Amino acid sequence: MKSLTRLTTNRWVRLAIGVAVAALLIVLPLISSKFVNYQLSLMAVFAVAILGLNIVMGYTGQVSLGQSAFLGLGAYIAAYGVTEGWPIPLIFLLCAVVPAIVGLIIALAAARLRGLALAMVTIALPIIGIPLAKRFREFTGGSQGTTVRWLSAPEWNEGFLENDQWRYYVVVIIAALMFLLARNLVRGRMGRAFRIVKENEAVAISIGISPYRYKVLAFTIASLFGGVAGFLYLGVVQYTSPETMSFHTSINMVAAMVIGGSASILGTIFAAIYFVLVPNLANEINPSLTALFSGAILLAVLFLVPGGVVSLPRRIAQVLRSLRRRGNAPARDAETPQNPSDGALAPTATGPKSTEKNRKRQGQ
Amino acid sequence: MEYFIQLVIEGLATGSIYGALALAIVLVNRATGLINFAQGGMAVLSTFVAYALFDAGAPLALAILGAIVFAFALGAVLERVIVRPFERGDPDTAVVVTIGLFVLLGGVAAFFFGYEPRQFPSFFGLETLNIAGVFVSLRSIGTIVVLALVVVLLQVLFRGTKLGLAMRAVADNPVSASLSGLPVSWLLMIGWGLASVLGVIAGVLVAPQLFVSPGMLDFVLVYALAAAILGGLDSPQGAVIAAWFIGVIENLAGAYIDIVGNDLKIAVPFVVMIIILIVRPQGLFGRKVVVRV
Repeated sequence: MKSLTRLTTNRWVRLAIGVAVAALLIVLPLISSKFVNYQLSLMAVFAVAILGLNIVMGYTGQVSLGQSAFLGLGAYIAAYGVTEGWPIPLIFLLCAVVPAIVGLIIALAAARLRGLALAMVTIALPIIGIPLAKRFREFTGGSQGTTVRWLSAPEWNEGFLENDQWRYYVVVIIAALMFLLARNLVRGRMGRAFRIVKENEAVAISIGISPYRYKVLAFTIASLFGGVAGFLYLGVVQYTSPETMSFHTSINMVAAMVIGGSASILGTIFAAIYFVLVPNLANEINPSLTALFSGAILLAVLFLVPGGVVSLPRRIAQVLRSLRRRGNAPARDAETPQNPSDGALAPTATGPKSTEKNRKRQGQ
Repeated sequence: MEYFIQLVIEGLATGSIYGALALAIVLVNRATGLINFAQGGMAVLSTFVAYALFDAGAPLALAILGAIVFAFALGAVLERVIVRPFERGDPDTAVVVTIGLFVLLGGVAAFFFGYEPRQFPSFFGLETLNIAGVFVSLRSIGTIVVLALVVVLLQVLFRGTKLGLAMRAVADNPVSASLSGLPVSWLLMIGWGLASVLGVIAGVLVAPQLFVSPGMLDFVLVYALAAAILGGLDSPQGAVIAAWFIGVIENLAGAYIDIVGNDLKIAVPFVVMIIILIVRPQGLFGRKVVVRV
């Protein structure tokens, strides 16, 4: 196991894996059916949305149940722009900026609230958003939604790439850029500040980091990612309706994020694969089982692999180690297992964060 | 004027349904410090039990009683088996656990009963009373009375009985409570069981109106959460008053403010909630949380 870890941290090995994955992503749409390409593109779309959610929830520790509202907002802006015939770069810019501004305004108010009140305010967003979308029919097409035809393969590339392949490449390239952006964000100064705000707000204040400011920032970034995901969503699906905002989508995104691995970039990719794939698979077995499956999988992950799928190898190694140790010295208790992933939402979380929050709870 | 009174009474009735679920949320929050999204799922599944019993030929009262017993057991078992390991850990994880439970329980209900809405009879009949020109349905009055009764019973339980005292002790300080010999584990299970019973009361009250389906309480749950937060999360009276407030304000805004209308009235309580929370982050009746560093 140890040699495996050394292998994955080697720079050249990492580079090789990266190149292999990139090659796979490039070749895949050329050899796959339209349906598969559609599903792959959807994964890229929701990867961006869940990535935003992960920044505010996984990295900064603020439960957000409103991500679908920003996804829907982005999709509506794109749909309106397309029907009005605006240039695509302008549409993209608006899809990123307008949800970010809306998110900023909401966060300025909501980040004042402690803990779970934020979850409540955010859950209100899709619930307010849906009737609003139905009301402003002239922009949104009402309950029927809006169908558009855009992002088709351009003429110069006639006979080379099909529409689905062209859309796949556009979506995946934008998604990859968003991932690069997010990776740099969370690895830098800002990411460290997010993590401290999540761990312990008092400590954050004591070293000059304003929890309020960083919560607002995280929420704004999450909204921006949600809006971009909305742009991509319209690109792939070519249709949006108030249902895009449904708070079930938000809840499923939260579930997928935790299953994939919170506070992890790689985990976000697993989360998006799960988000698109599992409902499809469950539907094929029995449509009324979808919810049962998602709930059961989420709970199983929380119990068994609290760090999410991304921490599975580490978790297995850990369990094996403790088993081996127990076998060698049955009298001695196995060493307390460490948290599978540092920033993860783990039930056994110890340290300053949990004691602080427990105290808070007892003080209520 | 008659119309206005009618709207207020109907609002109070809807508010009472939110209030029952909001009380459940407050109860669980006081006992275990969690916000329980699964409350909606527990209530739906138990309401389906009432439906199944009634469908099998049991009298309505017996069916509801059976559902209440089921709800109590369900709440207690879920607390012990699934939620317990997460209770003293990170609250964010615990919330995700309850969200998982919410999805799972809805899934269980969908698996057994499908997504098709089913009719459920009202306990109070369908008559409408005419009191001095004001038309109110018996169901609205019955709903309000039931919630008032529930509030009184809870007060009696918590203020007047040994069990209630013990539960308050556990909510206040679990460590001290267990050191003084209280069976903390059982008391937590009872607390969740009671909350689950409140949920099924809400479910049965609203079922004739919304029909029984896996998603029937989704919106009620969100309103109830809003009421609980608005009331201050640790104040049962606050939750009920906030729930009534939400029910009434939603109805009045829908009827009297033109741009709101029937379709947007759902947004009104949330906008009001956000404004109130910005002014008073601890809620209307909640105590301010002071954190010791």
